[in-house]
Amino acid sequence: MSETRLYPGMSRDEKTSFAPYSAFDIPADLRELSGRYDVEAMARRCRNFRYAEEWLMMMLGGWVATIPELPVKTGLGKVIWETAQAADALGRRLPELRCGRVVVDASESANAGFAAFIQSVSEPERPDLTIEKLAGPFDVLMPHLVDVYEETMRETDQICDAPTIELLDDIVRKRRRHIRWGREVLDRLCETDALRERRRVRVEGLNAELVRSGGVTGTLSEERGVLN
Amino acid sequence: MKRFIQHEELARDSRFVRQDNRQSTLLAALPDDVDKVVDAFEQFSDMIEASVKGTAAEPLFEAYGPAFALTVLNEPLDPDAPAGTTRLLLRMHGIFVGEVQALEGSARSLWDFPDAPWEFKMNMARQAWDEARHVQIFEKLLTHLGGEVGMFPESTFLFECACSKDPAMRVAGVNRGLEGLACDVFRDMIRYAEKTGDEKMRQAIDYVLADELTHVRFGSEWVYEFTKDDPEYLERTREYRRTVDKQFSFGGARSDREDAAIPIAWEDRLEAGFTEEELEDLASISSSGPSRKTLVEAARILRERHLAKRAPSKQPETTEAGR
Repeated sequence: MSETRLYPGMSRDEKTSFAPYSAFDIPADLRELSGRYDVEAMARRCRNFRYAEEWLMMMLGGWVATIPELPVKTGLGKVIWETAQAADALGRRLPELRCGRVVVDASESANAGFAAFIQSVSEPERPDLTIEKLAGPFDVLMPHLVDVYEETMRETDQICDAPTIELLDDIVRKRRRHIRWGREVLDRLCETDALRERRRVRVEGLNAELVRSGGVTGTLSEERGVLN
Repeated sequence: MKRFIQHEELARDSRFVRQDNRQSTLLAALPDDVDKVVDAFEQFSDMIEASVKGTAAEPLFEAYGPAFALTVLNEPLDPDAPAGTTRLLLRMHGIFVGEVQALEGSARSLWDFPDAPWEFKMNMARQAWDEARHVQIFEKLLTHLGGEVGMFPESTFLFECACSKDPAMRVAGVNRGLEGLACDVFRDMIRYAEKTGDEKMRQAIDYVLADELTHVRFGSEWVYEFTKDDPEYLERTREYRRTVDKQFSFGGARSDREDAAIPIAWEDRLEAGFTEEELEDLASISSSGPSRKTLVEAARILRERHLAKRAPSKQPETTEAGR
């Protein structure tokens, strides 16, 4: 009488008696091995995303000293740190995407148009321009990044590229909180029609520039109009 | 947005009153000579009076004259001392605006040095968040003690002295000079909170002090990283930090002298990465100003002259500050 085999033997009839995974009544893994981006394309996207996050962190840091509203100064502190963490996580993903071992700081703009857009967002300087300063990141750039990150998470390979999905998911969760905070501040600052108009004009101008650039990846069609 | 800003460009809301920084830097340049101290303060008397007008420091000026800062700075905080509450609030407000400037200095480093190593940017970003929390903490402690933002004038000399255009000197100034001073002041405030049984203040500042040690460590590491393989650059950076430390010693109020109002926090500073040699140097730099005896005598003369000038029409009424 043969004993129950715990490990497969060397011949066909020496199998174990364990039922296969699919025999159990638990949800099957319906994910397919398919994604829009290959390793090289995803590495390029991570570099592009990192460029946006790094510059966003730098410009917010630059503005802290020239924004007179104290709760805005202090509120930006946490946004700066979480933006730095986002850029850092994207940089750490790059070596995992075959970009070499010393590329954690490799940010790259998708094109000259997006780099010019970032410079436009960072332009306001005077202390009476808090509305123009905040409208760029919180009304235009951050919502655009959330939009593109979510699209990337949906379209990349759910199994092969799961680490990218995980890190983007974490960034998006925090970014949504930043946008809520920034817009609440802007709503309070824009308490008259004239101030609301300043915000609208700023957003409209930056959105047009963002659309022309093709967005953070430089690949988005102008037909989408407002990218957010 | 341009790189590098001047301290005059630091943006503030309508509650804040700006003080001429010369008042703060004056102390660092004074010799141990009563007459020279008196002359220096008399020279700035009108400017000092104008800067405290309408603030909670006005009664201190009325009671002590232009050298009220000498009296406030050179006496250890004591809840039972005359004007004890006003002096506590003055120090707490000074810490609060110091934290605002530390936030601005660390955040500004992100924009001013775009080509700095990524790890440096990460450290500065983390420090910006920490300093932002410190601003919130000290605003709450100010309220807890009965004060409010803008009740005293703000000197931006911390930002002016510490924010160099050179990255190694920036971290030497902000992270080792300014944050080192914070270690000394916060250890003293913790002692004060323990003495008065203020557990809310003690615990909050204890956490802040822990953060400051981390910031000093950032500074220690980056000074060596930025200046590695360049001993001359390292020496210039050290010299810059010594100048900042001299300014931040307020003529010996923060020093290792027995009578210092704010003693150097040796243990905390050692934990933060300062060496014994550096601390001996700091003790020497900070103690080299006028002696406490000189300052007390100068303050007495200045007060007498001030009251004589005010008499009889503006003899101060008995206020908490004047008792």
